[in-house]
Amino acid sequence: MTVLAVSKLSKRYRRGGKPLAAVDDVSFEIGPAETLALAGPSGSGKSTIARLVLRLLEPDAGRIEFEGADFLSLSGATLRARRARLQMVFQDPLAAFNPRATVARVLDDPLRIHGIASRAERPRRIAALLERVGLDAGLAARAIHEISGGQRQRVAIARAIATQPSLIVLDEAVSALDVSVRGQILELLLDLQRQERISYLFISHDLGVIRAVAHRVVILDAGRVAESGEARAVIDNPQSTIGKALVAATPKLNRNTPP
Amino acid sequence: MTALLSIRDLSVRYRRDGIEVAALKGVSLDVEAGERLAIIGESGSGKSTLALATAGLLAGGAGIGGTIDWQASQFQTPRSVAPPSVLPDISPARGEIGSSAAGSLAATQEIGEGGDDDLISPLAGEMPGRAAGGATERRSSAIGDNNIPLLGRDIGFVFQDPSSSLDPVMPVGKQIAEVAHTHLGLGWSQSLARAKTLLERVRLPDPESALRAYPHQLSGGQKQRVAIAAAIAAGPKLLIADEATSALDTIVQAEIVSLIRRLVAEDGMTLVFVSHDIALAATLAERIAVLRHGELIELGEVHRIIDAPRHAYTRTLLDAHLGLDAEPLLDRQGASA
Ligand SMILES: Nc1ncnc2c1ncn2[C@@H]1O[C@H](COP(=O)(O)OP(=O)(O)OP(=O)(O)O)[C@@H](O)[C@H]1O
Ligand SMILES: Nc1ncnc2c1ncn2[C@@H]1O[C@H](COP(=O)(O)OP(=O)(O)OP(=O)(O)O)[C@@H](O)[C@H]1O
Ligand SMILES: [Mg+2]
Ligand SMILES: [Mg+2]
Repeated sequence: MTVLAVSKLSKRYRRGGKPLAAVDDVSFEIGPAETLALAGPSGSGKSTIARLVLRLLEPDAGRIEFEGADFLSLSGATLRARRARLQMVFQDPLAAFNPRATVARVLDDPLRIHGIASRAERPRRIAALLERVGLDAGLAARAIHEISGGQRQRVAIARAIATQPSLIVLDEAVSALDVSVRGQILELLLDLQRQERISYLFISHDLGVIRAVAHRVVILDAGRVAESGEARAVIDNPQSTIGKALVAATPKLNRNTPP
Repeated sequence: MTALLSIRDLSVRYRRDGIEVAALKGVSLDVEAGERLAIIGESGSGKSTLALATAGLLAGGAGIGGTIDWQASQFQTPRSVAPPSVLPDISPARGEIGSSAAGSLAATQEIGEGGDDDLISPLAGEMPGRAAGGATERRSSAIGDNNIPLLGRDIGFVFQDPSSSLDPVMPVGKQIAEVAHTHLGLGWSQSLARAKTLLERVRLPDPESALRAYPHQLSGGQKQRVAIAAAIAAGPKLLIADEATSALDTIVQAEIVSLIRRLVAEDGMTLVFVSHDIALAATLAERIAVLRHGELIELGEVHRIIDAPRHAYTRTLLDAHLGLDAEPLLDRQGASA
């Protein structure tokens, strides 16, 4: 069983009059409670794939099957209903919000829009969501600009899980966080995955992070799949030129004492 | 080893919306001549503040206390006029001197943003000046007059975002040449020839045509190479790189790090490398300074810091690093697909 099946996906942009294959014949699948990582150098097409999967962008060719349905053919109310099952967390997803909006407001929106809870029920739901991501319910009244980056990313995750999705697309979702906070957010994501069987399409330029949290990895180069497989196997022994270059370029600590 | 500069009891306070932020609290540190020193710490720990203070680039309104003592013989002397900044968007700044350390260390310089060093009294509470001049000197017999390090000439500074140090409407060759022209007194054609050599040294493809390129025509990594070329154009003794590779992808980051290592070695420069990435710092530096909440909590040789950290926070940073040899979090949790 698969949650997401992408096949032969392609997207071209025009740049300076010349066509540029941002995503070129890319296929992969994600199973339930599975994390598939997309890695690759800058410009390799990771974010374009994320936007295609989220239907923020239409592909030139290819198929996207989500929860068994042809996702690209959905429209109107069926698309909206299905979208609730497919959520996203970006590097600073709440940057798009009015910074004066309260945390409660940010979490209220998906509950209201997708008709998940009645008006009277929503404050209780919001408190439960905050608790679920390890935040104090008292934070609900705070404005987005009054909370830390790590807290904001927890709110973004709370917002993403509000609609009980089967898949969350995370595009560099932990890249801007301090390492200590990053560890906590990764633990939270793994915890949610175990308990609610959520799948992740996890985009990162950091192979160390991918190796720590992903089951499988797809390494992209110039829009094409360079190699893919079990995350640890690929990263520990890359076969493609770009895979080898990415591993070689990753800074190593070489600690000589056990941690 | 001789210290290129000695920082003593450096404190910096910012004021924002009426609230005071203590960005640095009594930091003392020697930067040895010719060493590669990394400054690491998490967001807001004061890394950039320390780098900017060292380069004399702190914005006006910052309250500064303590001293930075420069090793006189390490810098070109004397200086007669304050040349223009190579960083066009850095506005002239006004600094204040805290009085706490002012009287205690007699043979050192007061820091601040003054370019008019002759006019500055070490005990002045507040002084006007330009950011471009770098640290100002307290007149003292131990150091001698007029050996103030100058940004551009004695100190090269590379920022995270190369766009902030490059002029978007000027060909990059001209920007590099201008540094050489200003600080080395070279003629214009000599300066342009030097710019071309520098573009070759930072390995920009096709340096001849790159001279005429504008910043927007270059990739992020190429822009950072140009910014480095401009920073070292006058042959500074000290190169300060503040998260200079943080916006770049891993492969480009590795290229820029090895470029910096090579240039520093070839020119015998001293390097201060600011990064939030302890592993990256360890690959480049000989010593690491760890900042936390504005305090210097640990300083030592790279291997000592990594293998035997003395401070619990340094250990936390090391443990939080997810290297390619780390035990996957997936396994720790016992989760599986
Ligand atoms: N709107 C656009 N118009 C033209 N070209 C685009 C557009 N968006 C992306 N591209 C190009 O498509 C390619 C893939 O970009 P994409 O953002 O998917 O890369 P990425 O792997 O996410 O990179 P990064 O690691 O830098 O985020 C790049 O060459 C990029 O310049
Ligand atoms: N111009 C400023 N005005 C007010 N506060 C400032 C200013 N610059 C920095 N600060 C504050 O001073 C503290 C130290 O900031 P600094 O930029 O030196 O940290 P940093 O270690 O470089 O962080 P980062 O890793 O995020 O770049 C922070 O609390 C920051 O918010
Ligand atoms: Mg991207
Ligand atoms: Mg900084």
